[in-house]
Amino acid sequence: MNLKVLIFSLFLVPIVTFAQEEEDYSMYDDLEYADEGGTTYASPKINGVSPNRFINVAWDLQSPYTLNSSEIKGFTPDASWSTKESSNVSYTGGLRLNANIPVVSRNNIVWQMGANYMNTNFSIDKADPSDDPILSELNSRSLKTGGLFTTVYKPLNEKQFLIFQGQADYNGNYTLSDFHSLGLTKYSAAVLWGKRPHDRLQWAIGASRTYKVGELNYVPIVMYNWTSKNEKWGTEILFPARAHGKYWVSKKSLIMYGYELEGGSYHLEGLSKDGNSFELRRGEIRPRIEWNRKLVGFFWLNAQLGARINYGFAYDELENGKEFFRGFFGKQEIEAFSSLGTSLYGLVGISFVSL
Amino acid sequence: MKKFKTLTIILAGLFLFTSMVGDTEEGDKLVGVWEPSNKKVKVKIDKISGKYYGKIVWLREPIDPVTGKPKTDKNNPDESLKNVAIKGFRMLKDFVYSGNGEWSDGTIYDPQNGSTYNCVIKLKDENTLDIRGYIGLKTFGRTDVWKRLIMKKKNKK
Repeated sequence: MNLKVLIFSLFLVPIVTFAQEEEDYSMYDDLEYADEGGTTYASPKINGVSPNRFINVAWDLQSPYTLNSSEIKGFTPDASWSTKESSNVSYTGGLRLNANIPVVSRNNIVWQMGANYMNTNFSIDKADPSDDPILSELNSRSLKTGGLFTTVYKPLNEKQFLIFQGQADYNGNYTLSDFHSLGLTKYSAAVLWGKRPHDRLQWAIGASRTYKVGELNYVPIVMYNWTSKNEKWGTEILFPARAHGKYWVSKKSLIMYGYELEGGSYHLEGLSKDGNSFELRRGEIRPRIEWNRKLVGFFWLNAQLGARINYGFAYDELENGKEFFRGFFGKQEIEAFSSLGTSLYGLVGISFVSL
Repeated sequence: MKKFKTLTIILAGLFLFTSMVGDTEEGDKLVGVWEPSNKKVKVKIDKISGKYYGKIVWLREPIDPVTGKPKTDKNNPDESLKNVAIKGFRMLKDFVYSGNGEWSDGTIYDPQNGSTYNCVIKLKDENTLDIRGYIGLKTFGRTDVWKRLIMKKKNKK
């Protein structure tokens, strides 16, 4: 009899334990704060957003293209110009590094600081210094961008937020032993106000001071980040700087398609005289498809394939290095022009990300 | 001399016991029901075999809008866990009380993206937690504020 009770008890114990684990969750429906409730702020992210890159190392490469250049002389902005020389650019590419580190990351404020480095080497056939000093200068020394930037995301309440971005770029064909004046640093900034109506939508409007197409410009900006209900499709748009559609193939694989504007104003040391700064205003449009793939842990691969379409490749001489705003209607003279044939481009990088 | 030795051992034992009990009491301040700042879930933290674990006990939106069924852990990288109900899921694991109102060595799971992060919990006051999830280094992380919830007090008639 005792043995039967023992066997019965042995079977009963797991059942009793299981019953104890079956919790009545309805008891948590009606709770109250022990003191005062917390404040809910609009999150800086939405569901299904692409991985946020803390650190990115990438290599960019363009296929060969033709570069037509004008004479060096003062052109009016709307002047027609004829090709003085046509050259073949057999190689354009270089290393890109980017770091974006959270300094403060709380639910009521996010402050990030970052640094970026971008190197573009040109290999231009028949770039003779006596015949074409500009092409020779581009051929001999790569274009570099070294920048520091900061982003502050400040939620105002559960739905609204502000974003401030500031950036200082040190652009030119400098080398480690030959830096130019820090006074030529280019400053960009953006301010946005927006709303996050729900977990799959975030939009904002604002204004920016930018060098995205080479020259200094002031433009309105629109942000529109949206993810579909099934969290497969969506958009990530910061118009006009970039606009992408996205498709999550799986949780480890994301395809993005769209475009990005890229450019800056670069001081060319060898052509700058008498305290003036001879600058290349370079801007390009990059329609592309991008594949993001999880490698291991929080390390992701990103690969882009697309076209590099020339937007602007002109030269300005800044008197005493002083920047000016030409905008769409300014009449300041342009020193010289180049036009670049469209090329294919590819970029491969590895990132340390947060999801 | 022998009496002195015995007394020392007893005192040392008492001191150790007292400090252990003290630490346990301090550490147990984490036990209870908490609400993250997004107010989408309620998490119940329990102590199991000396470590602290937190499971989701309430969801503001318990039904998946796509399937029309109770939400499951569909973003979990482990295929076998994708059909496990979110309610009851252990999102905080393996926390150990390390003194000074701080619990460390644990992890936090984000069902939104299926990622598990290192995590440290700090008691700001009796009813407020700072929960920081991070990747490798604490720098690469984000802090959220959680508030303590209690059973509603019944109104006296």
